[in-house]
Amino acid sequence: MKASLFAGLVIACATLAACDRPAQDIAKADAERGRLLLWQFGCGSCHRIGGVVGAVGEVGPPLDGVTARVYIAGVLANTPENLIRWIQSPQQIDPLTAMPDMGVSAEQARDMVAFLQSRR
Amino acid sequence: MSIRRLVQLLIALAVLATAASAAVIYFGLYNVAATEQHTAPVYWLLNTSLKQAAEQRAKDIVLPALDDKQRIERGFDLYREHCVNCHGAPGVAPDAFALGMTPVPANLALTAKHWPAKRMYWVVRYGIKMTGMPAWEFRLREEELWDLVAFLMTLPNISPLDYAAGVRNAATRQGPLKPMQTQARKDAVTSEPAAMHGDAARGKFALQQYACVTCHEIPGVVGAIHAVGPPLEGMATRGFIGGVLPNTRQNMVRWLRDPQAVDARTAMPNLGVTERDAHDLAAFLETLK
Repeated sequence: MKASLFAGLVIACATLAACDRPAQDIAKADAERGRLLLWQFGCGSCHRIGGVVGAVGEVGPPLDGVTARVYIAGVLANTPENLIRWIQSPQQIDPLTAMPDMGVSAEQARDMVAFLQSRR
Repeated sequence: MSIRRLVQLLIALAVLATAASAAVIYFGLYNVAATEQHTAPVYWLLNTSLKQAAEQRAKDIVLPALDDKQRIERGFDLYREHCVNCHGAPGVAPDAFALGMTPVPANLALTAKHWPAKRMYWVVRYGIKMTGMPAWEFRLREEELWDLVAFLMTLPNISPLDYAAGVRNAATRQGPLKPMQTQARKDAVTSEPAAMHGDAARGKFALQQYACVTCHEIPGVVGAIHAVGPPLEGMATRGFIGGVLPNTRQNMVRWLRDPQAVDARTAMPNLGVTERDAHDLAAFLETLK
C-alpha cells in the first residue's frame, strides 16, 4: 500500500516535471546514448572523458567529476539544467569562451549530462 | 612476570589504545564546536607545541633596530589595518567575529610582555595552523613585518588613553582608515628578470597562501581536493585558461593576477597575487603534466 502510494507520487512528480521541461528531465535521460553522443560530437577532441574512447583532449578541462564542481566553466552555477544550456550554447552564456556551439539539441545535451553524472 | 608475558601485555595495550583512538575519531566523540574549549590536556598539548615550535624556529632570526619612532608609527598603522579586528587594542574590543573564535585571539600586550621580538616576528610572518592566525609573509613586505613587530613590542606600555590619542593622531595624518581588502602588496610590480622566470617550488608553497587549494584539485598538494573550479592536473598541456585565454605564461600571469579583468563573468576572484608570485605559481602549474 505504502509502496504503491510512493510509486504513484514519484510518477506524478515525474509527469509534472516532464510537462514543465520535457527535454530537461534527467530521470528520463539515456546515459549510454549520452556516451555515444559525446563521442559523435567530438567532445573528446577538447576534453578528457573517462569511458569515452579517444576522449583525451587537453584544450579544455577534464570532464570526469564535472557535475560535482560548483561552477560550469567558472561562470555558471552547476545544475543539470544549466549544464544542458551550456552544452547547447556556451557562447550565449559567456561570449569569451573558446567552446563552440556544436548544434547539440536539448535532448542530446540531457543524455550527455546523464552520462557525465555517472562519471563522478 | 616473564619477559614474554610483559611483551604480550604491552602489545595488547597498544592495540587497545589504537582501537580507542580510532573509535574517538570514527564516532566523532571529540567536539570540534568553537563554543567548547579544548579539554585541559588537549589545551596544554596544543599550547605547549605552539610555544615550543615558535621558540625553536625563531631562535636564529636576526633583529633589525626596532626603536625607531617612524617605524613604530608605520607599525601602528599596519596594526590598525590588519590586526585590531581580531586582537583588539588597549581599550578596544575585538570585532564580533573574532570573539566567536576558538582559540580566541590573544591580547598582544600580554604576549609582547613575555615573548621576544623575534618570536613575535616568526608568528606574524608564518602564522599558526588551526588557530585563525594567518601568515603575513605573502601580504606584507619584510620591512612592514618588522614595522609591525616594532609596534607590537610597545603595546605593553600603551595605555588606552595613549592608544585613543594615537588613533586621533593617525586620522589627521592619513584620513579615515580604508576597509580591509584583498590587494597585492606594494611590491606587486617587479622588474627583476630572475623573478619573472618563476620558481616552481615557491609557487607550490604560494598555492596555500592564495587559497588556490580551496577551489581546485591539485595533484601532489595535500588538502587540494575541492571541486569548485576545474582540477589543475594537466594544466601544463591544457589549451585554454579558464576556457577563454590561450595557455601561455604571459596569459597565465595575467589571469592569475586579475581573472575578472579577463572575463568579467568568472567566479574566480582577484586574490591580490603579486607579479612575482604569479610567475612562481605559473611555473608550478607548468609542472602539472
